[in-house]
Amino acid sequence: MSGGTVGGGVSPIPREARPYQGRRAGLVTRLVAAVIDAAVVGLTLLAGYFGLAALLFLVDPRGFSMPHAGLVFSLAAAFAVTVVYLTAAWTLSGRTYGYLVMGLRVLGRGGRTLGFTGCAVRAVFLAVLPIGVMWVAVSRENRSLQDLVLGTAVVYDWQPRGANGHPQE
Amino acid sequence: MRRLFPLSVLRPVLQTVLGPTVASVARTLDRLIDDVIADVVRRVDLDAAVRRLDIEAVLDRVDLTATVLYRVDLRTVVREVLDQLDERSIAQVVSRVDVDGVAQRLDLDAVARRLDVDAVARRLDVEAVLDRIDLTTTVLRRVDLKAVVDAALAQVDLVGIAGQVIDGVDLPEIIRESTGSMASDTVRGVRMQGIGADQAVGRAMDRLLLRHAPRPDDTNS
Repeated sequence: MSGGTVGGGVSPIPREARPYQGRRAGLVTRLVAAVIDAAVVGLTLLAGYFGLAALLFLVDPRGFSMPHAGLVFSLAAAFAVTVVYLTAAWTLSGRTYGYLVMGLRVLGRGGRTLGFTGCAVRAVFLAVLPIGVMWVAVSRENRSLQDLVLGTAVVYDWQPRGANGHPQE
Repeated sequence: MRRLFPLSVLRPVLQTVLGPTVASVARTLDRLIDDVIADVVRRVDLDAAVRRLDIEAVLDRVDLTATVLYRVDLRTVVREVLDQLDERSIAQVVSRVDVDGVAQRLDLDAVARRLDVDAVARRLDVEAVLDRIDLTTTVLRRVDLKAVVDAALAQVDLVGIAGQVIDGVDLPEIIRESTGSMASDTVRGVRMQGIGADQAVGRAMDRLLLRHAPRPDDTNS
């Protein structure tokens, strides 16, 4: 991936970043991406909450009060939004918004694109145990707990469209 | 034996007495014969004798060809003949030769086969020939330039060359610099910072966990 061309075409990737393409991403990049994704999920939840409030207001303006969501409901909603968001994003493009900003892509075994089921399982696993990403710091191969169990990988991939899904191969 | 004895005695005597006389007679006879022959020759009419000679019969009995071949210095004769030839006589000879007929009878293919064309070409002043030819006009008029260009392009990996050129001048970087927004610069900076931080954390953890072996060139496999 150190070359300037990919598949005979011209790589838009800056030269200084080319040597890293296809390598497993380290802890800091993945944490930053995770924070961005968490912000996306939080914003989505907020949008949902205020959307629900607006709907209630429209239905009953006089008796309107801000809805009260219990802890369990909030956690369940956050869990559901996270799983749906991660699954949809990974299935469609292999990257969430946080991954897009940080130039990452999630890959399945052997560098193949991760299928829907794999994405869903990984999303549930990540939502249940987000701390698993910290194993990247310990792993010599930059694998998170989810990566270790599911055989997935998160690699640097600055290609906008992900020319072949697995740049190293 | 008794009868021969007197002869053997007489022989020296006779030789002594008659020897000079015999020699003198012999000399006289020789002179006489020479005089007779000279007189005969003087008196014989050779022309008349030759006229009576059948020369044809004589020639028939002589192998003139062999005589000429073996007894005449042909080389000298030919040299003399050639020395006496001038352009005019040669022109007369040539004018009487049917050159076209000769050419028709010639096997020019065989001649061409024996011709050392390489030697001829080596002697050729190619530069002078080229100087006399307007190659540009010839090419423009007689060469199917489109076919030549198509054939040349067919052997060239244009996409590969373009890729090398673009990579050499780093066209993506130029485009980024000319059209790049603050956002893309920021994203690039954040990503590179992230990569640097990842490596720093990795090295720190290696030291912390007392891992001295270099990290594998980790890939996505």
